Amino acid sequence: MNHEPFFTVTGLTAGYGGPDILRGVEFSAAPGLITGILGANGSGKTTLLKAVCGLLPHGGQSLLEGCDLGSLPPRQLARRCAYIPQRSGIGIDISVLDVVLMGYNPHLGLLERPTAQMKAAARRALALTGLAGREEENYQTLSEGQKQLCILARTLVSGAQLLLLDEPESALDFQLRYRMLHLLRRWVRQGRRGVLAALHDPMLALSCCDRLLVLQEGRTLAVLSPADDLLPELESALSAIYGPVSLTACPGRDGRRHLVMLSEEQEENEPWNL
Amino acid sequence: MASPTRWRKAGGLCAGAGILLVVLGLCSLFVGKYPLTLEGLLAGDDMQVRVFWTLRFTRMLVGVLGGFALGASGFVYQTVFRNPLASPDVIGVSSGASAGAAAGILFCSGTAAVTACSFGGAIAAVFAALALAALDCSGRGSTIVLAGIAVHALAQTVLICLKLTADPERQLASIEYWIMGSLNGISLHSAAVNMALCAVVMAVLFALHRQVILLSAREDEARMLGVPVGKLRLVVLLAATLTVSCVVSLTGLISFIGLLAPHGARLLTRSNRMGTMVLSGLLGGVLLCAADLLARSLAETELPVSIFTSLLGAPFLIWLVVRGRRSL
Repeated sequence: MNHEPFFTVTGLTAGYGGPDILRGVEFSAAPGLITGILGANGSGKTTLLKAVCGLLPHGGQSLLEGCDLGSLPPRQLARRCAYIPQRSGIGIDISVLDVVLMGYNPHLGLLERPTAQMKAAARRALALTGLAGREEENYQTLSEGQKQLCILARTLVSGAQLLLLDEPESALDFQLRYRMLHLLRRWVRQGRRGVLAALHDPMLALSCCDRLLVLQEGRTLAVLSPADDLLPELESALSAIYGPVSLTACPGRDGRRHLVMLSEEQEENEPWNL
Repeated sequence: MASPTRWRKAGGLCAGAGILLVVLGLCSLFVGKYPLTLEGLLAGDDMQVRVFWTLRFTRMLVGVLGGFALGASGFVYQTVFRNPLASPDVIGVSSGASAGAAAGILFCSGTAAVTACSFGGAIAAVFAALALAALDCSGRGSTIVLAGIAVHALAQTVLICLKLTADPERQLASIEYWIMGSLNGISLHSAAVNMALCAVVMAVLFALHRQVILLSAREDEARMLGVPVGKLRLVVLLAATLTVSCVVSLTGLISFIGLLAPHGARLLTRSNRMGTMVLSGLLGGVLLCAADLLARSLAETELPVSIFTSLLGAPFLIWLVVRGRRSL
């Protein structure tokens, strides 16, 4: 696998008008990798994703193959980088297929309409995400998890090299969240591509991400490699954000090392006193 | 095969609404105090031909095209603002047009001058709202709504001041009559420019339908889909407002159509595709033509159109809501 820098973030600072939430985040990622962002609530996971794609005023740089994402106009940016928010803001009656076809917008002229080939590719993307046959359903009637999968299909057809995902698993059940991450693994291996995903579930992150960016109070605490790093090193970084945890390595049926994380928080023995 | 079914449904509804609009348009040509007959017109009866071209044809044209424009622009406002209650009033176009018309009645003479002043007032209100919204660098969609409320309040104040200075016998009555809205007394000369501009701008809006739908996404999401949100929203709102201004500067204020027609179209098609936007326009035309027919035939004196748009609109909306609930 090619490990030269594909995506580099240097000195990234950002906030919402008050004190900075991000205070100089730095990391880099090679192509073909899924990088998970872990951190406690309020540590800056969402802020990092929004700053990377220029949705928030920020300092520092986010370079994708040497190109500063913050300096790109919306159309150029959307061709290189796609963002999936925690909840999509589409609030009108619109078909599932039409939502996916929105992903082609950066490649279409102002008055152009999606071609038959684009529609066929959109249907294939829906099939990949498990929504085959639901193309003409109203997007509003889908469950939150299915909406996330539909938005993922839209992202897959966009042709972007870098996917930014904000807690994509939050509305998905056990099976669907692993299906989504496995789909992303397949996608990211197809060329010079990368995924940066803020994840709420550390077990999912340990299982499916190639690299883990651990944030604490808006700074990079550690960059981990779950497949290669020693358990004490991983435990130390994760304990800093989740409290005392222990990791156990379990071999999967595929022979790969899988990590199980347990909380070692001691139960308080003081009498219940309300 | 849901897609063709849905398209046929929208197509069928558009065809039905189109036929109804043609029928109402034809009725509009022949209903009124002066009786017109097809035989008389074909025989070249001088008086009938003159009434046809100076009164009835213009009235039909403004009813059909004006109603279509109000309905289609209502669709655009509701989609872009992501607000089911959005209408031209949201960014102050109606109140700006009223203040402009009142100034025209007070300081100019002639219908064409009042139309021009009203158009100027509407456009000035829109530019004021958009300029105020641009002062907020955050780019939030709600800013333009707040700016519109401020401009609406300002235009209402100007209108009250103009009314206070108006001659109560003549000018004040004219201002009130204008505000009530009517398709009466519009000359082909003054309507031609407005309707031509209206048709051109509407064509632009229909061409931008895909972009209008993209603007319905949350701002961050739309930006990450490659949409230059600020610029595009400005262009789309300006086009929609130009369309409405072209109509209300001729007719005076006509309530409810821009709100009702898109709701009706959406409840019938359950989508926001191009067919729904066309249906919004057709339903707008049907409503305005029907209201105008009633306004000129129910009483000795002509009644304000808005009374009938509201009287027709409210039960229709209730029926659509009840029907919609059953189908869910």
